Amino acid sequence: MNEEKSYSKRVEEEFKNYGKRVKELKASGKRVIGYLSPIVPVEIITASGAIPIRLKGDVYEAVTTANGYMETIVCPFVRNVFDSALKGKYGFLDGLVMPHLCDSMDRTADIWNYNLGLNYFHFLNVPHVTDEPSLDFFKEILSIFISSLERFLEREIREEDLRMAIEVHNRNRGAMRKLYELRKSEPPLINGVEMMKVLVATMGLPVGESISMVEGLIEEVSERKLISDGHKPRIMIIGDQIDYTSLSETIEDGGGIHVMDDISIGSKAYWADVEVDKDPLYAIAERYLRKLKLPTFVESSDTYSETVEKRFGYLKDFIEEFRVDGVILVTFRYCDPYGFEVPLIKGYIEDLGIPVLYMEDEYSASTIPRAKTRIEAFLEMLME
Amino acid sequence: MLVAGIDIGSITTEALIFEKGKGILGYTIMQTGADSKKTAELALEKALSFPSREASDLSYIIATGCGRKRAVFAQQAITEITCIAKGVNFLFPNARTIIDIGGQDTKVIRIDEKGRVTEFEMNDKCAAGTGRFIEVMAKALNVDLDKIGDLSLKHKKELTISSICTVFAESEVISLVSEGEELEDILYGIHKAIADRTLGLINRLGGIKNDVVMAGGVAKNIGVVKALEKVLGTKLHIYVEPQIIGALGAAIMAAEKE
Repeated sequence: MNEEKSYSKRVEEEFKNYGKRVKELKASGKRVIGYLSPIVPVEIITASGAIPIRLKGDVYEAVTTANGYMETIVCPFVRNVFDSALKGKYGFLDGLVMPHLCDSMDRTADIWNYNLGLNYFHFLNVPHVTDEPSLDFFKEILSIFISSLERFLEREIREEDLRMAIEVHNRNRGAMRKLYELRKSEPPLINGVEMMKVLVATMGLPVGESISMVEGLIEEVSERKLISDGHKPRIMIIGDQIDYTSLSETIEDGGGIHVMDDISIGSKAYWADVEVDKDPLYAIAERYLRKLKLPTFVESSDTYSETVEKRFGYLKDFIEEFRVDGVILVTFRYCDPYGFEVPLIKGYIEDLGIPVLYMEDEYSASTIPRAKTRIEAFLEMLME
Repeated sequence: MLVAGIDIGSITTEALIFEKGKGILGYTIMQTGADSKKTAELALEKALSFPSREASDLSYIIATGCGRKRAVFAQQAITEITCIAKGVNFLFPNARTIIDIGGQDTKVIRIDEKGRVTEFEMNDKCAAGTGRFIEVMAKALNVDLDKIGDLSLKHKKELTISSICTVFAESEVISLVSEGEELEDILYGIHKAIADRTLGLINRLGGIKNDVVMAGGVAKNIGVVKALEKVLGTKLHIYVEPQIIGALGAAIMAAEKE
């Protein structure tokens, strides 16, 4: 019985003490490289022998110190994470990788670099167009990234290191997708709050430990019995770095169930693998540039409807497969890339006959009480 | 079957007693104050005193409003958005759009012929353009809240208040006073600012659909009503007591529990 509860307990611990495991490994001599956003190819960091850890903020912590370095026009997520870093939460980092993604990251890269004073800092110049020349360019950028890591760590990253890292990260993503499968039933075997904890916990663990935790959890969860208390509105959350549980809690306390997401620590990060039968660097470049569905990429087609279908078609599949009744779309204030897409996403999903609740949020727990009324009213609307 | 609806808002609390077939039997409106739990109990007691009935006669109670979870004696808590929709549908069956401006929220709700919510928008966490905004302005100008609506209708100039933030708008109003602007004109400017802000919310829902009903305490302010009718180009339907519509909707849903 104790054994059975062990993996969900581990998830709970890693969620509550984010970064604790990496800190321990650092103390035992491992090198740790932090990164922001799912666009940074973790395979390369893993191949270098260092441990990648994705940085998150703390929605329960008010941004204070960072206000002296960044104006409020910088997105609340970036400011919150930077605030955490300034307050010493990520004291175990050897280095940091900042991608060219949005203005809030691009324009603050030097502020991070200068003020955190880490031994290694790399700006990853990710292109925003996905055509062939961009792919060649990105491959070159990844080579530069590899050389810079090699110099810093004084260790060669060989092709077989890359292949091994690709394999292990694919396995991690595959395990996560299997766990997502268990959300398809009615009721789901794993609820939204627990799933959010898993997503946060894994991004703070070395990939090998993430795999064993998720695979163990799948076994545990599969043995749960479905206890239905009637149909609850099944909700999908769309947004960027939602790395807290309060949104799912509000949904599930209000009588709904959070069954699927299109968020950057969730399905966005896990849905596509790196192809194994290609040149590893090309395959990595291809996966990150063409298969990650991020709003910063420009993928144009001949007609408007083709472009929209190419950009959001996968959301239709999610809605069908996970039997989604309603969508909650969340953007962070001053987030341009997601802000621009709001009317498009909203229109696309509403045209499928699925109601959308759009909320502009602050990456702060302070907005929860006000969000509550809207979310509960939305659920009441879906229940009628 | 006797039922009750309680709407615990940020400024006022309303309790309403309802019976299917007979309609509204009694209601009360009170200031919410610091102890919303106690206020809710008191409001229910007062509302019951009109039809001279006892709390034990009530077969179902539904609470709504931002303090809905504080009414521990209620069997159920439902958001004010759903309740207002039900209440408006009962009073105005042809209503398809509701503008509700309360103490700290502005809501625009689309409903169908059965009073079901099909879409809604709500102001962000800032209370600009709500009841509290008007209260602050009335206080800054030292005018009775009940009088500002009528006074503003006597305006001679179309003054503009450009600030949306309550705090900044207050200092803008004060500087208008020191510049010697007339009270009536300033009040007009305040009401116009509220109408414009509400229009922004309405446009996010893609405009209005007739009939349009206005609910909430601010609907008692004729200045806001006229300013809104002007920017929307349509007549607003208003119930004699627009503050009790949330409680009424809650009571109607309680009666459906039978």
